[in-house]
Amino acid sequence: MTLALPIATPRQTWIWLCSQLRVHRLDAAFTVATGLGAAAASVVPVTALGLLVDLVRDGAASTALVPIGLLVAGIALLGGIAAGATTTLVSRLGERILANLREQTVGVALRLPATTLDRAGRGDLLARVGADVAAVGAAAAEVLPTVISALFLALLSVIAMFGLDWRLGLAGVAAMPAYLVALRWYLPRSAPIYAAERAAVGVRSQLLVESLQGVRTVHAYRLESRHLSAIDDASARARDFSVGVFALFTRFVGRINRAELLGLSAILVAGFWYVRSGWVTVGETAAAAVLFHRLFSPVSMILFTFDEIQAAGAGLARLVGVGTLPVAPAGAREITSADLTLRAVTFGYEERVPVLCGISLRVAPGERVALVGSTGAGKTTVASIAAGILRPLSGTATAGGVPVDQLAPGTVAIVSQETHVFAGPLIEDLRLARPAAPVEAVEAALERVGALDWARALPGGLATVVGEGGHPLTAAQAQQLALARLVLLDPAIAVLDEATAEAGSVGARELEESALAATKGRTTLLVAHRLTQAAGADRIVVLEHGVVLEEGTHGDLVAAGGRYATLWSAWQSRR
Amino acid sequence: MSLLGRALLRNRGRVTSGILLIGLHQGCEALVPIGIGVIVDRAVAPGHLGRLVLWIGVLAALFLVLTVAYRTGARQLMRAVADEAHRLRLEVAAKVLDPRTEVRTGDVLTLSTTDADTTSYLLDYLPRLSGALVATAISAAGLCLISVPLGLVVLVGTPLVLVALQRAAPRITGRVAARQEAAGRAASLATDLVTGLRPLRGIGAQDAAARRYRDVSRESLDATLRAARTVGWFQAASDTVSTLLACGIAILAGWFALSGRISAGELVTVIGLAAFLGEPFATLSAAPGWFASSRASAERIEAVLGLSPAGPPPAGNPLPPIAGECVGVVVEPDAAALVALFDDGSPDVLVAPHLPELFSGTIRDNLLEAAADDLRGALRASAADDVVAAHPDGLDHAIADRGAALSGGQRQRLALARALLARPRLLVLHEPTTAVDAVTEHVIARGIRDLRHGPGSTLGTLLITTSPALLAVTDRVVVVRDGEVVATGTHASLAATDDTYRTAVLR
Repeated sequence: MTLALPIATPRQTWIWLCSQLRVHRLDAAFTVATGLGAAAASVVPVTALGLLVDLVRDGAASTALVPIGLLVAGIALLGGIAAGATTTLVSRLGERILANLREQTVGVALRLPATTLDRAGRGDLLARVGADVAAVGAAAAEVLPTVISALFLALLSVIAMFGLDWRLGLAGVAAMPAYLVALRWYLPRSAPIYAAERAAVGVRSQLLVESLQGVRTVHAYRLESRHLSAIDDASARARDFSVGVFALFTRFVGRINRAELLGLSAILVAGFWYVRSGWVTVGETAAAAVLFHRLFSPVSMILFTFDEIQAAGAGLARLVGVGTLPVAPAGAREITSADLTLRAVTFGYEERVPVLCGISLRVAPGERVALVGSTGAGKTTVASIAAGILRPLSGTATAGGVPVDQLAPGTVAIVSQETHVFAGPLIEDLRLARPAAPVEAVEAALERVGALDWARALPGGLATVVGEGGHPLTAAQAQQLALARLVLLDPAIAVLDEATAEAGSVGARELEESALAATKGRTTLLVAHRLTQAAGADRIVVLEHGVVLEEGTHGDLVAAGGRYATLWSAWQSRR
Repeated sequence: MSLLGRALLRNRGRVTSGILLIGLHQGCEALVPIGIGVIVDRAVAPGHLGRLVLWIGVLAALFLVLTVAYRTGARQLMRAVADEAHRLRLEVAAKVLDPRTEVRTGDVLTLSTTDADTTSYLLDYLPRLSGALVATAISAAGLCLISVPLGLVVLVGTPLVLVALQRAAPRITGRVAARQEAAGRAASLATDLVTGLRPLRGIGAQDAAARRYRDVSRESLDATLRAARTVGWFQAASDTVSTLLACGIAILAGWFALSGRISAGELVTVIGLAAFLGEPFATLSAAPGWFASSRASAERIEAVLGLSPAGPPPAGNPLPPIAGECVGVVVEPDAAALVALFDDGSPDVLVAPHLPELFSGTIRDNLLEAAADDLRGALRASAADDVVAAHPDGLDHAIADRGAALSGGQRQRLALARALLARPRLLVLHEPTTAVDAVTEHVIARGIRDLRHGPGSTLGTLLITTSPALLAVTDRVVVVRDGEVVATGTHASLAATDDTYRTAVLR
């Protein structure tokens, strides 16, 4: 049933990266030029000092030092500045591309079809817009500049060795196969362990978050030790993978050391013969050996950040993967008549379990229709289809004759059972419905649902930070905020599927009034969890096991003595 | 003792051998440029084949020691780091799950992952620092052997440069902290918006939300670029200074060589050593930042681990003791406060949380296992039998994402079944039927009554609710207002005689 969100293939990721670099090609070219300049600047002194060795061997005068000294000092100064500029430029380029990517990812995430999200689970998406963006961002800021500089330095050092003498260059690259063999040994062995480690870390976090979110239940049923031991197991598994992959890594480092020894010996031995044959000088050999030795540090830098680079690459693939998801284009059609019609709608979340089997209903413009039925009858599903959040398997949902998924956003609004207070100032929460709405409009909306008094009484008034980490609001207050958003949005058609019952009897009555005020004058389809709401509606539709069982006014249905009458008498019963 | 001290103490064996082995490794690394100089000087320059073979052999032996020392030492340290992080994680988890402490920080996840890791990295930082010191010392000693003034330049110059560079540290730390803060803001906004996706979609506010995220993302980008500029300047300064130092040493050595005070081969060694010194330099200049991050993480963890357990709930429970009865309680204005009074950790009392929280696993896992007979009875009493029947896999149906795919009523009924199955002596239920319809509510009210209060039963049930269907099956109802009992009687008699009661419970 869970269907994971897609992960981009290496090819897709690569194509995406190239397209981004093309967009920023000027920046990219400038960055590469600066990086090469910095690397060249750090190679020149070594070569110059090699020259110095030969001068010493030739017994030159002390004054021969002056030009070399000036050159080396000047280049060091330039090189330092270029190195700093490279760091800045690489992270600037990387971060700009990443900013576009994360905005695109969140944009797609916010527009994903509800069914895609339900199937994939929200956890995966949350991890992508949160942890993955953070991992890639940290890598772009901290690891990428180092690695790029190291790569440039390696490239320039090899070129410089060839510059000293092509035969010395050949000796230097003789170690290349040994490096490649080491990589070919390590990569296929470590990749599955890294993947397993990441999965184990995911399980560990999942268990921890679940235990935290359900901490009251954990306490009530004294499940502390049970949950702790599950976390212990998961954390130990993740740890063992980390230690295991690191043991592999140390063996890889051993192979790299071997390659280093091979390269260094090759240069020294070759230099020995070349000097004997008179092809190169002692100073050139020394410079080549020092150049090669200086590569140890950047190469190990790349190796040691390899884990981070791999993790960032995986995160990048997950982010680019979100971008490959199809997003339904936002509709733009306006309606002239505010009627809401469902025709022969069927639906099922899972193939084996049909939820709706041919529902037809119509809400006339300005009419208020209540949807009633026992728990699990499919009321919420009908509401979601009417609001265009779910698509029917067959049949149609239209508003003013236009299919609901082609409507301009906000034409049909739904307030669902799931309330969420958006983190930030209260007024900004409401302005999600109408960006840049004036304070007066926001206050009027709060006033209409009866929330203005308590909102003004908050410590910072409408500017009070609410939501996660902010001033706590009660469930009823959160519900009123949802209704105030609806008022501010001012849609022609409203679907209400709210959990008024949560507030207790007195609170529920107040919320019912808020809901009534918020939907006044709108075509309203209302899922009635409390039958008093149904009794006040223009018409009632009774749903049972995914079909419409009864339809009519409150009086008619009570008199008819059917399912609604039973529900009503149960509701009324005081014994 | 501080968390860091304790981390060192409880991993002292591994850390000690790590320090020794990483020191050995770094010492060998410092000997490599000296070896290069010796080979150039004694074998390449004079063209002496025998010495070439001999010294290449020595170089190979050096690499063997170096690689074995690293492998052994680094593995020890990795073990220590991974173990320590694991232990810290569990300590945080245990503290957070401890019923007596209320940890309500939203960032417990960060604490138990990033902070636990960063704290334990200390065990790796320390050997790296000491290794860098060893490498610097050996390089300086090598230089001193060639020429005392050269060695002195390193010994005096290094600390000077490091101290100078440290002056920039606070500025960098500030900029990087600002970057991370902005990135954190963007991340939590993204998380918040995706969490509230349904309400957003309900009012067609996806575009507004995406724009809001873009604004914060751009702020984050700006902070990142500012930090990158600062880091870039610092890098420019530190690169320039350390290159100048290295080049200065090399040029000084060149002058000594030209004036005949040292040999050409010794010059090669000096050039190699001067270039090599950049590596321990980088470690030494980064080390204060590492330790600061470890300390900051350790302090954050200490703050949570140091939370003292809350005392027992304040006395003053206005309700009379309940045994063997089904009692309804109507509380105004704050039912939750009264519910909390029963949550005293007594093994005989189960206070079922009002919000139905389910965990990953099958339905059966969530019901916390029980004998088959009990199971059937409890499912029937909580009207959860048709939740089980609605899924083809029945009790083995897997619940994902905390039961997000179930309706509110289904979750509530499963949670009620779980509470009934626990068969506590006193069961406290707080509004257990808010998400179910009226007919089902009656079924549940009857079910609770029949299951827990059959003939001869000594179990007690407290129903804190304003639902008349539930109150109707109780033996008596207690009305609490502002923390005091204001009325007691049967639901029927209170409903008939007490007007305020009627407004409170009747729809």
